[in-house]
Amino acid sequence: MKGTRRVTGRRVPWLSYLVVVTGAVLTVVPFLDMVMTSFKGPGEAGTLPYRFLPKAFDLSNYRAAMDQLDLPLLFRNSVVATAVITGSVLLTSSLAGYALAKLRFPGRDLVFRLVLATMMFPPFLFFVPRFLILVHWPLAGGNDLFGRGGAGLTVSIVALAMPFLVNGFGIFLMRQFMVAIPDEVLEAARIDGAGEFAVWWRIVVPQTKPVLVTLGLLTFVDAWNEYIWALLVSTAHPEVMTLPVGIQLLQDHVDPARTTPIVMAGLVLSVLPVLVLFLLLQKHYVRGVMLSGLK
Amino acid sequence: MVNTLAPEPTGRAPVPRSAGASGSAGGGSGRIRHRHRHRQAVVACLFLAPTLLFYVVFLALPLGFALLLSLSRWAGFDLGDIEPAGLDNFAGLFADGSTFLVPVLSNTLLFALGTVALALAGSVLVATCIEKLRRQGLWRTLYFLPILTTVVAVGNVWKYMYEPGGLVNGVLNALGLGSVAFLQDADTALPSLVVVQAWASLGSAILVLTAGLKSVPESYYEAAALDGAGPVTVFWRITLPLLRPSLLFVCVTQFLTGLQSFALIIVMTGGGPGDATDVAALEMYRQAFSYGEWGTASAAAFVLFLVVLAVTLAQLWFFRRKGEDA
Repeated sequence: MKGTRRVTGRRVPWLSYLVVVTGAVLTVVPFLDMVMTSFKGPGEAGTLPYRFLPKAFDLSNYRAAMDQLDLPLLFRNSVVATAVITGSVLLTSSLAGYALAKLRFPGRDLVFRLVLATMMFPPFLFFVPRFLILVHWPLAGGNDLFGRGGAGLTVSIVALAMPFLVNGFGIFLMRQFMVAIPDEVLEAARIDGAGEFAVWWRIVVPQTKPVLVTLGLLTFVDAWNEYIWALLVSTAHPEVMTLPVGIQLLQDHVDPARTTPIVMAGLVLSVLPVLVLFLLLQKHYVRGVMLSGLK
Repeated sequence: MVNTLAPEPTGRAPVPRSAGASGSAGGGSGRIRHRHRHRQAVVACLFLAPTLLFYVVFLALPLGFALLLSLSRWAGFDLGDIEPAGLDNFAGLFADGSTFLVPVLSNTLLFALGTVALALAGSVLVATCIEKLRRQGLWRTLYFLPILTTVVAVGNVWKYMYEPGGLVNGVLNALGLGSVAFLQDADTALPSLVVVQAWASLGSAILVLTAGLKSVPESYYEAAALDGAGPVTVFWRITLPLLRPSLLFVCVTQFLTGLQSFALIIVMTGGGPGDATDVAALEMYRQAFSYGEWGTASAAAFVLFLVVLAVTLAQLWFFRRKGEDA
């Protein structure tokens, strides 16, 4: 493939380089601007004339961001919510995917169609009713049996994760990969006396590990970056605030001359974990986006 | 996201699972198979239980609740105070003087269309050019960075870059041009947001198009080269037509995402100045959580849902028809 391409264009493809490099610069520059701004001193950002580089690489904005925010709390909430969501999506997708791919039971096609149909409903449709359901959750957060009197589950960190615990695309993805596992392998294990749970755990899960990694990464990034729902839940209850929500709030607090650099410092801190993870597991993630492009 | 290109469940005829038992053992095997199947059904129920429970509590129940609210008058708080209101909420959205149709829905469509146009043009250009370079993976990785970043980061960085003392105006000034109040001017606010949304979605569009490009048979290019076709002719006559399924896919998914997204807008403009960047999903959000108009919010959500559904069905219909052609 590469060989023939080179025959058709023996010259260095300067024009292509120009386009790709220009685009790449446009993609990366906002991030560089974010990093540079995070080092700028008071009155240095947002003043004319614009300067890309800071006068000095001063870490005081990072210290200020950490002082302003309860970073341990925000990190803890983000980590817990992300971990719970990712774990739950992997578990439920794998279990349901296995049932839909390899177990025979009446109504299987119906359930699969239902799972596919769930992906047709856009998330915005659920913001209001899901929030109200959590507020009126019976016997939680001071509510009585009929969901009255208290704040329900919205006071709990559980609320951050709840609407994302099951993912229709995840189930679909796992099922598609499990269908490809030969029945003979599973049958052999069953004849050896393995129960369905053991077949799933000892044979199916190991065989689908790469897909699980991919799905896990996609879910992790989405959960870590989630903003709207977290904003909704934590507006009334700051104790369940996540990193993106907390950093957005930085704008309202800080001394105006330093607001932008401090916000940028907070953003750098929140973007870093995902970036590191991505660089480590790049191939899996890119594959995941390709796969979700196929859904 | 919406499933459309999903490889259809093959709908395979149920093959007897325990092939060994059913083949040889005649009468006894029926009972074994029956018990076997019964056990599988029980296990399937267990494995599917968490998923189905979730769908009941967080999908079916909210849908019903939203529908009820859209047909009711309710001030919030006590669930006992929900009063039937017929179609009043929907009528209110389309009444004279309501901003829902113009500018809210029209903004939504402009935002979605603008994003599609920009992201599509950019991704086609970049994806085809990357194909000609070495170290393709590295380049694609770079274009990928925005997707990994929370909307709070993307929104704030661009908001700052659009400011009078920000990077974009800095470049304009260096070129001898005057400053533009991108987000403060009602005329430029929405297009400025479109640029950011397209910028953020370029990476995934490039990946989808790359998959399409890789599937174009090399022999086509060889034949074109033998016939002496130039790169421009090859692009228009071979690459673009064969890329059509991927292009269409990018178009539709970007369009649907554009219709629904409002997180970026909350972060960057909050719908302002005035209602210049107010979109349907944001309006729904504000009606509910800022004004406590739960009924109006739910009605707006359903109207937007109908738009999304219409686009989805049109797309399904289109792909089905194309499938029959092939």
